[in-house]
Amino acid sequence: MKMWYEKEGLDEDVVLSTKACIVRNVKGYNFPSKMDDKDASSLLKKVDSVIDRNVFSGGMATDIINSGDAVTLMKAQISGRDGSLLFAPDRKAIYYTEDYGLSIAVGNSEHITVKAQAPGHDIGIYRQAEKAAVELEKKLDIAYSEKYGFLTSSVKLTGTGLKILYTVAIPAIAKTEGGIAALRQRVGQYEWTIYPFAEQGELNESGVYIIASVSTLGVSEEEILARGEMLIEDVIKAERACREQLATKKKTQMQDLYGRAYGLMRFASLMSRREALDSICWLRLYRDYDDSCEFDCKWKMLNMITQEVCWEQQRRGEINTQTAQKQRAERIKKILKGDD
Amino acid sequence: MRCERCGVELTNKIIKINDVAYCENCARLMGYGKFLRSPEEMLGSAFSPFDEIASTIMQMSDLDFGNSALSCPKCGMTLRDFEKKGRLGCIECYNTFNDYIVKEMFKQQGESTYGGRMPGSIAELPGIEKIGGPVIKNEEPAKNEEIKEESPASEKAEEAPAPAAEEDAAGKLEKLAKADLGMLSDEDLESGIKLAAANEDYILASKLRDELKGRKEGN
Repeated sequence: MKMWYEKEGLDEDVVLSTKACIVRNVKGYNFPSKMDDKDASSLLKKVDSVIDRNVFSGGMATDIINSGDAVTLMKAQISGRDGSLLFAPDRKAIYYTEDYGLSIAVGNSEHITVKAQAPGHDIGIYRQAEKAAVELEKKLDIAYSEKYGFLTSSVKLTGTGLKILYTVAIPAIAKTEGGIAALRQRVGQYEWTIYPFAEQGELNESGVYIIASVSTLGVSEEEILARGEMLIEDVIKAERACREQLATKKKTQMQDLYGRAYGLMRFASLMSRREALDSICWLRLYRDYDDSCEFDCKWKMLNMITQEVCWEQQRRGEINTQTAQKQRAERIKKILKGDD
Repeated sequence: MRCERCGVELTNKIIKINDVAYCENCARLMGYGKFLRSPEEMLGSAFSPFDEIASTIMQMSDLDFGNSALSCPKCGMTLRDFEKKGRLGCIECYNTFNDYIVKEMFKQQGESTYGGRMPGSIAELPGIEKIGGPVIKNEEPAKNEEIKEESPASEKAEEAPAPAAEEDAAGKLEKLAKADLGMLSDEDLESGIKLAAANEDYILASKLRDELKGRKEGN
């Protein structure tokens, strides 16, 4: 079975993934930060009893760690880049579908977090998250008030408890002077937010950004999704227009950088994260304008490399830098050769 | 050393007049009081505004301290913890800190009222629906849908874009571009934004959105 991010998606030249997250809390229990171990254990049992085992695998986080599935959860973007969902594992549980596209985490910063993920631009993923959330709402006594909607530990989520996130690769906008500032303004007009995938470190110039909804009050789910759709279509058009401009105005340089980047990724034996992401940027920028047909470089391949590198497990102290770079280079080569 | 006038032992303050030591009380009785103003008395008049500010600050911190001590009877969460961490401890906190939570909601989102679906129900998404793999959207504004229903040639119109409809949209966009935005209703602005975005006139769409946003913020 393929992982969710290995599947085909729409507009995947720009949009790496679409995610819908819904948080819920159960009445009768304090929120996780004020919950004692006894209540935490009771909540885990309660939620476990209503999980549809025909759909979801997984369970207690401790069991997941012991079975060695923690790395897979990280790669599948369920447990967070830092693996935070697996901290304090005796108070947490994680359930997931076969392709890891739909997950239910229990005991994180809110009692329940339902997360649905799809490759590319696919707002329909909301329905999957909603379906799982509705099932839980029917079976559990969920904290809800008519005035404020679904009650959450964080006031930022009170209301619908819904966040939509698009992960986008927009190197052309990022390399255009004032591009990100203009985009930020545009995103703000829709009352959404945009932030780089990583604020600092090796990934901060990856050209990968996250565009996320902000409002959970005063808006319906439909409005959130409609705004997101209008916004992401603007982003896709803007990125493609910037790529077109770069490719036509600086064709020779772009072609050169594209060829070099491909060569590096295809044949390098050691590859740092920064180097890998920088090369992907150039491949992404010129891929649709390359008329030489010498390189087999599909969008799916580029996206898989981007996601692998961005969500790569940080095994500090476990392996040295050279070994990590070697493993990364081998993995990238394998994807580009089409062996994956 | 003792006061030359009353004999009291001089400890803190020694006032010397013509090299003779006196206590503060005797110096005042001898008519030298005006030279003996304390720093507080000296600063009292010239810096009185500072005193007011200082007392206000004291009052504010007293007030702040008092409110921060407010705690939830169920989970023990204090207002100070909430302000610091931005997270609540339990559902009861919503009652305990209601005023502060509403303020925070306005600060974060500009809203405090719920507009979403009920528990156990699904959201109605007439504008956005997914069938199978790809996203299928009904982007046409509601008005256009009504026109389609009335028109017997609607099926054909779906297959190929009607030139008349394109001209109509172009005309509407031109009117919108020239219009005094202040005279347009919110509904006109909303439909204008959709129309402009659908026709890739992003400059116009953003102008209309700014106008609409400005009105909402103004309210």
